[in-house]
Amino acid sequence: MSSLLLIPIVAFAKLLTLVLQRSGRGSGTALPGYIVGQYFPFVLGALVRQIPTVIAITGTNGKTTTQTMLSAILTQVEGGKILRNRAGANLSQGILSELLKQCNGWGRLDFTHAILEVEEATLPRIAALLRPRVIAVTNLYRDQLDAYGEIDRTEKLIREGIAQCPQAQVVVNGDDPRTVRLTQGLPNPTYFVSLAEEYAGRLPYEGTLHRREPDSPGLEATDIHINQDLTTDFAIQGRMAGQTIAIPQARTASPGFFHVYNALTAIAIALLLGVDSRTAVQGLQTFQPAFGRGEMLTRQVGNKQVYYRLLLVKNPASFSLSLELLRSIPALKLLLAINDNTADGKDVSWLWDSELERLNQAQIDWVICTGRRAQDMRVRLKYALDQPTTQPILTVESIRAAIEQSFERAQTGETVFVMPTYTAMLEFRKLMGKTLDAV
Amino acid sequence: MTYSLTITHLYPDHLNLYGDTGNLIVLRRRCQWLGIDCTVKALTMGDRPTPGETDLYFMGGGQDNDQVAVVDDFHGRKYDTIKADTEAGAVFLGVCGGYQLMGNTFLMGNGEETRGLGIINVDTRAPGSEVKQRCIGNLIAEILPALYQQMLSLYTQPKAIPHTLVGFENHSGQTYLGAGVEPLAKTLVGFGNNASADYEGARYKNVFGSYMHGSLLPKNPHFADLLLGLALRYRSGDSTLTLPSLADREELAAHQYVVEQYHA
Repeated sequence: MSSLLLIPIVAFAKLLTLVLQRSGRGSGTALPGYIVGQYFPFVLGALVRQIPTVIAITGTNGKTTTQTMLSAILTQVEGGKILRNRAGANLSQGILSELLKQCNGWGRLDFTHAILEVEEATLPRIAALLRPRVIAVTNLYRDQLDAYGEIDRTEKLIREGIAQCPQAQVVVNGDDPRTVRLTQGLPNPTYFVSLAEEYAGRLPYEGTLHRREPDSPGLEATDIHINQDLTTDFAIQGRMAGQTIAIPQARTASPGFFHVYNALTAIAIALLLGVDSRTAVQGLQTFQPAFGRGEMLTRQVGNKQVYYRLLLVKNPASFSLSLELLRSIPALKLLLAINDNTADGKDVSWLWDSELERLNQAQIDWVICTGRRAQDMRVRLKYALDQPTTQPILTVESIRAAIEQSFERAQTGETVFVMPTYTAMLEFRKLMGKTLDAV
Repeated sequence: MTYSLTITHLYPDHLNLYGDTGNLIVLRRRCQWLGIDCTVKALTMGDRPTPGETDLYFMGGGQDNDQVAVVDDFHGRKYDTIKADTEAGAVFLGVCGGYQLMGNTFLMGNGEETRGLGIINVDTRAPGSEVKQRCIGNLIAEILPALYQQMLSLYTQPKAIPHTLVGFENHSGQTYLGAGVEPLAKTLVGFGNNASADYEGARYKNVFGSYMHGSLLPKNPHFADLLLGLALRYRSGDSTLTLPSLADREELAAHQYVVEQYHA
């Protein structure tokens, strides 16, 4: 019955998307999903049920990267057809919009896997409809002040989401005290991904670092090495679904410890889906950082070429971790782009929870502050640095002007590290000629 | 001569939401730049304060369960000493949740009013019909004349300081000032203490409360200097002691930026 009803609804949604795109009112991402979700709530379930394997990825940081990594792995599998929602379009309307866009005129979806990044508070609202085979929770950090209020509530919401899916296997960060306890008292088989203690101890978790029990199932990364080109090598060992896993070397193209967790999560999910570890590691190697998460962009004018490495900052945890990475960069050229739009967090207090002090161990060539809150960023730096930078910190609100200035200052072949908040990242990419879509 | 100050951070492991630590970063650095020898101590659950040791107490906000735990510990182990210190002129700053907590009663997330620390005569109540939602957004307020004059009087050389305080507020509780307590500033943009009167913050002796984070002190260096100056006067017993002026170019540019956004 419902499959017949789908046809006019799908036709309406596709028409609406077309009209929105033609009229230049955005890419038509969320509105069709929003309207259909409001008036025909059964559609989400009716569409997603056609895809044999659904994976839901949630958590504060690393949703998009984990999704992209897993997609790179599953694409390697013979016959794999992957559906994924766009980066950041992770509320129910964003997910529904993607399903409506990908299905044919009869409302049919021809995919083997759906890898969905799901916003934390959205999980309990749609978990029962998605019926995911695997739920992954990357980490639970305190997000910006005015997003959802309190982290305790977010933890509770995710737990409610998992509780609706007793059949789902769960992969969680095994070092984060908040994610480790998510499935306590629930029947879900749970797998923990963690870093060897020498690395995990450096990360800004809230509360005491949790060491998983030695015999609990999951994966652990050891021998982590960040290379000069910011690729990361590591070894993996552990036990998944009764099988012993020992991978002597894996590599990911995205920089930093954070992304090792994302890579472990993607591999753990792949193993649970029956992918062998060799294919998983090979698939991971094809992953390219995208959409501001370690992504590299190039600006060329005449013979001069300057590279821009984007390290999205969303909250104190991701900011502090990226700064940790920059300590090893010689003659660091840094562009900090801080906006205070809704998606960035309107309250910039979080800049003071971010450990800018880590830059005291970096070798700074120059810094430019830009974005709507460039002034706040400069004050934060002034108080963080033990010594003023040799070149004065340039502060310019316009991101366009900041790109010009940084291009002027850099020599050809050099890399500028850009740390933007979410909307500053969108603007930066647009100015560099990149479109909004991640995939 | 070299001055020295002892700053005590109350419950840093329990009350540390939303950049409140930025206030301590600023106090510490400004002491360094002003040539003040500054020691920052943490005082948390189970600890007892040493009478007369602290010149400046700081307390941020926390989550409900932490704030409730703090109340019991405070009354059990800390109240007598800290109340005596602040009555004698020691400086105390509470921000946002810390501001609500230091009053007679404060509001929990579930709307329940709970006993506070009782350091200042203010009460925080559940919002009535005057506000429909949380008070969230940029907050700009004009410093009241008497406080402004005191700020000016703290500098050795005349210094141009802003007439405003700027920050970001996010609270549902409505704070009302009792007898003997003055507001800090008149609200120009945002709510401040409560939606029924246009005032922000509270002062009793050298005890200060404010709803501003952002953080409060980085963009309001004149307020940071007021706290340091009053703490030094309390420590030295010299009520005419003054501070040298720091340039504060970056801080004031950030302050001005917020003010200009609202043409306040």
